[in-house]
Amino acid sequence: MRHSRLAAWGPLLVVAAVAMAIYLPLVVVANYPLAARTLARGATLPCDSALACTFFLRNPVLPAPNQLLGGILALSWPPGAPYALPLNAWWTAIETVVGLSLAATVGFLFAVLLVLSRAFQLSVLPWIVASQTVPIVALAPMLVVLLGRYGVQGWLPKAIIAAYIAFFPITIGLAKGLQSPDRLALDLMKTWNATTFQVFMRLRIPASLPFLFTALKVSTAAALIGAIVGEMSTISFAGLGKMLSENARASDVVGTWVLMLACALLGILLIAVVDLVERLVTPWRR
Amino acid sequence: MTLADTPAVASAPRERTGDPALVSVRAVSMVYADGTVALENATLDVGAGEFVSLIGPSGCGKTTLLRLLADLAEPTSGTIAIAGRSPAEARRARAYGYVFQAPTLMDWRTVRGNVLLPLEVMGFPKAEREERARRMLALVGLERFADHYPWQLSGGMQQRVSIARALAFDPQLLFMDEPFGALDEITRENLNLELLRLWRETGKTVIFVTHSIPEAVFLSTRIVVMTPRPGKIETVIPVDLPQPRSFETRETRRFFELATEVREALRRGHGFEVED
Repeated sequence: MRHSRLAAWGPLLVVAAVAMAIYLPLVVVANYPLAARTLARGATLPCDSALACTFFLRNPVLPAPNQLLGGILALSWPPGAPYALPLNAWWTAIETVVGLSLAATVGFLFAVLLVLSRAFQLSVLPWIVASQTVPIVALAPMLVVLLGRYGVQGWLPKAIIAAYIAFFPITIGLAKGLQSPDRLALDLMKTWNATTFQVFMRLRIPASLPFLFTALKVSTAAALIGAIVGEMSTISFAGLGKMLSENARASDVVGTWVLMLACALLGILLIAVVDLVERLVTPWRR
Repeated sequence: MTLADTPAVASAPRERTGDPALVSVRAVSMVYADGTVALENATLDVGAGEFVSLIGPSGCGKTTLLRLLADLAEPTSGTIAIAGRSPAEARRARAYGYVFQAPTLMDWRTVRGNVLLPLEVMGFPKAEREERARRMLALVGLERFADHYPWQLSGGMQQRVSIARALAFDPQLLFMDEPFGALDEITRENLNLELLRLWRETGKTVIFVTHSIPEAVFLSTRIVVMTPRPGKIETVIPVDLPQPRSFETRETRRFFELATEVREALRRGHGFEVED
């Protein structure tokens, strides 16, 4: 708000320009040998020199910007088609957001228990830590099979996998935040004869909000990866992860790069939403 | 009264009110788990309406004594009565407001919200809460800043909010632990004057911890001089400067005499030794 539009977008555009300045020569260098060989084989390409053809190979080593743009457009219309990015990104987003909500609920409960009970901290915290060291790729199919036995199918198991990864940063961040009020603030509440519940509602929880949002941003990225890995490592009918595994099987280099871009974009979008909510919920911050 | 026959443990002179002591401390000691004697055999009476300062170097037990009165710590031995009740009962009855060294305002609440906080905790009806907060902010001259967040205020203004908050639920007693210690000298002198005005207007009993001799002399009706290792009450000095006091009070001969008396009492108790 204090910045003009140019001031906000300027640095971003500079970085984009620098990225392009590095990326374009890389495309040429990476694809040149393949382009030369393909031309020598007499393949039909919409170009006549090896240099020009580095931008038009069917399966390039590194896709050119024009190919990425073409790939995005081809995968975007109609948006509701089973192969289209918008529909699949939508399902991945749903899984991520539901997973995050689940993670926030569980994380909050754990954090409160960690703060209230030394016994809980000693007995359960090591298990919480251990849960995060299990490779999610190994765990995801097991979880899906297990949940499937109880009729939980479709996107929900992926949301649960996302939650499994995302609850950890939220638990640790919130526990830290709930313990952030200093001795004096707690003494002050005591002089007013405040109950433990009042201390939570009026001191610990508001004080933990900045910590919560920092943790939520980390967790959003983690939940998105969880949802995508969940889709990739199990049978899926929708989602960016499903598209990624199909593309990998088809050795579609351009498609895979387009999907990676889509995942990154979805991540930026989701974190921007968390950032917006943070501004709304913590208006007192500078 | 000569310095030599000042009793080491003093009982309250009752000339101000004649009431029985509002705060009564009897042979109170406080020893920490590591054996440190924070306070040894302290006896003190404070009458209703008094302004009593506890002065002394770090480690003399002045903050400890205040925390014991507020039931934020428990004495190892001795008894404390506040209006005939134990400190715990007095705390539950919300008999005192406490102002700390730091303003300890809640970042997420506006100035008004901070003053409202104790009233919400204590379950005052909404209309009364708003009315009291408005009155308290007027009392400390911060009505115009009611909707500001703490970070938008200077340190002195933040501490005034903290005082308004402590007075919001109208406690009999105000405990203040070096409330102006972190402020610059000019702000401190202004707030001293304002605090005296508040004290006069509200009729509260104030127990005030400080390590500034001029501040203690300017504010108090009596000064309790404390000395360290072990923390104990060295002497109690009545302050007979006339009320109401003003900036000129600091320039009177009597002010200097009293400041000298406090300084000598501190020296007698080794209060000027290097702190460890």
